[in-house]
Amino acid sequence: MANKLLKKEDLDRLIVDVNSKGGVFVAPKSEARLVAYKPVSGVADIEFEYIIPRNSFKEYMFPQTEVVANYEIKKDGVDLNDVQVDAPKTVVFGARPCDAVSVASLRSVFTWDFIDEFYTKREDALVVLTVACIKADDECFCTTVGVKPDQTDGSDVMLMLTEEGDYVAEAITDRGTEFLKEHADVFTNAKDVKTLPVVDVKPIEGVDLGKIDAFLKDTEHYDEDFWAEVARKCAGCGACTYSCPTCHCFDITDEGTFNKGERRKNWDACQFDQFTLHASGHNPRDTQYKRWRNRFMCKFNIYPKKFEKKGCVGCGRCIRVCAVRLDITEVMLAASAKK
Amino acid sequence: MEQQLRDRAKEHLTSGEVSVVIGYGWNRRKTQTTPVFITKPEDVEKLVFNKLCVNNLSVYLTRKYPDIKALGRPAIVAKGCDIKNLVVMMSEGQLKREELHIIGMVCDGVIFKQDLWPRAADGTADTAAELKPEVTPVKCLNCEVRNPHVTDDVIGTPTDFTPPEEPTGIVFDMIDKIDKMESKEKWNFWKEHFSRCVKCYACRQYCSLCYCERCITDKNTPQWIETSAHDRGNFAWNLIRAQHLTGRCTFCGECERACPVNIPLNIMNQKMALTVKEAFDYKSGFDPEEHPPMIVFDPEDKEDFIK
Repeated sequence: MANKLLKKEDLDRLIVDVNSKGGVFVAPKSEARLVAYKPVSGVADIEFEYIIPRNSFKEYMFPQTEVVANYEIKKDGVDLNDVQVDAPKTVVFGARPCDAVSVASLRSVFTWDFIDEFYTKREDALVVLTVACIKADDECFCTTVGVKPDQTDGSDVMLMLTEEGDYVAEAITDRGTEFLKEHADVFTNAKDVKTLPVVDVKPIEGVDLGKIDAFLKDTEHYDEDFWAEVARKCAGCGACTYSCPTCHCFDITDEGTFNKGERRKNWDACQFDQFTLHASGHNPRDTQYKRWRNRFMCKFNIYPKKFEKKGCVGCGRCIRVCAVRLDITEVMLAASAKK
Repeated sequence: MEQQLRDRAKEHLTSGEVSVVIGYGWNRRKTQTTPVFITKPEDVEKLVFNKLCVNNLSVYLTRKYPDIKALGRPAIVAKGCDIKNLVVMMSEGQLKREELHIIGMVCDGVIFKQDLWPRAADGTADTAAELKPEVTPVKCLNCEVRNPHVTDDVIGTPTDFTPPEEPTGIVFDMIDKIDKMESKEKWNFWKEHFSRCVKCYACRQYCSLCYCERCITDKNTPQWIETSAHDRGNFAWNLIRAQHLTGRCTFCGECERACPVNIPLNIMNQKMALTVKEAFDYKSGFDPEEHPPMIVFDPEDKEDFIK
């Protein structure tokens, strides 16, 4: 199929069309001095000047909090009632290639030994319209982990910015082809348009994923001082994991009155001291640097080994949000230099 | 100033008086400063001090860090505002003055967020740049402790800066504005800001006065505070944290700085501080011998409902 053109001025029609059919149109939006993926109701809501939104769009497949069951405790037992997933068609416009790549990583976890329909139904209703990057900042390191600023994996439609500020659209998946067809009045034929060059993100010199892998595989290194040295400063908040597009841990909690309420699935973070706290009081990750070691292990050892997917897509959010500046790329460098 | 700091740190480490110096160093690209833990005298060259040194390092002396405690007697590089936290920790029995060496830094303000600092031509942080008022934290505009007030060393040339009589800056302007709002409007103001809360607890983790071994939000038998990031849970968490800091918060501003979604927590905490000042004529962080008013019982209290 020939490439299509999406004019910036036609975005309004696209948004209204999606929203009026019961869908949700998500795009980068400026709010409280930040740009974040948020539902929008018109083109005026969209922020076009951004490197990468503060949040990843995982919250549209894996919400921060959601009800998974309702319960009522009765004299003769507990009534536990399933909740049906409400998964409206959700269009993410202006996604970044790194975020799109992460969708496969999330799916591998949520379909691993159990199909988590709360995730899969939402992901199945998601259309990802990715805009290739023409700019990057200091924290972007996609190419260091093997992702390109115009990578198409995980995207349904790839958009390339034109000199005029419009987009050349290419369908990547069947879902993308269908979307372009469904909105054929907005996606017109692209002719004689020049797209802007994709940003050249230089891989960080000295980082070697193979060496990191070998270092992490060798359990001899697990208790080395290395971990305390690189991660002692971690403050133990969940900002990195919550902004990370591939972090997926959650906690199940019951909320309600004495005898009835709802069971919720809430984001959780391996950086919290309670995360691995046993009922006995023992905590195998008893210091903060050990919790951070787990995060690094998850990205570069567990994820690739167990799911053959990327644990880290190089979006750089964990670096941007970290108020003690614990830079994962510095640890990647240090681990690459280990024997 | 930086050399003076390094020399002093080296002396302390060499003499064995301290085993670790908790201070600031550069990140790899030299664009931002980051906490460093210096244990060898030859490593003191890594220590830096400049206007990007915004972090309050006192958090590393809380019980959250048994591994740092295990390093031995610490020296901490501290600005006056950071010392205020150390003082509250001492007054609350969290730290013993004699078990700690304070390297007090004379400070004339730091940047609000490090990524706002100008860059030099080579891409590194431009340390020669001036601190502009629009990126200066409100705490610095009103700082009473630019000369470190409880300290073992004084690094830098003492300043004669005097803060304005009435606190100024956007935090206090916002407090005035919110005070004048109808209750519904106040509710909506906070509801909107709290709606961004993701319950990452960065506000708690960066606060050295949030040192509880088990935070109330982590108490789950029963679950006292709903951990979900919905309106109820977000109000409960943010308001309870403000309550627990009432009369204790020193306005170091770390909670707001660390918040990944820019919730204006300083407004809430400073409103509480102003209220405590008015009711008890108390300001936290100045006297290690004096307990914050909300944790003491005094038979001379002017209110008699508790007697």
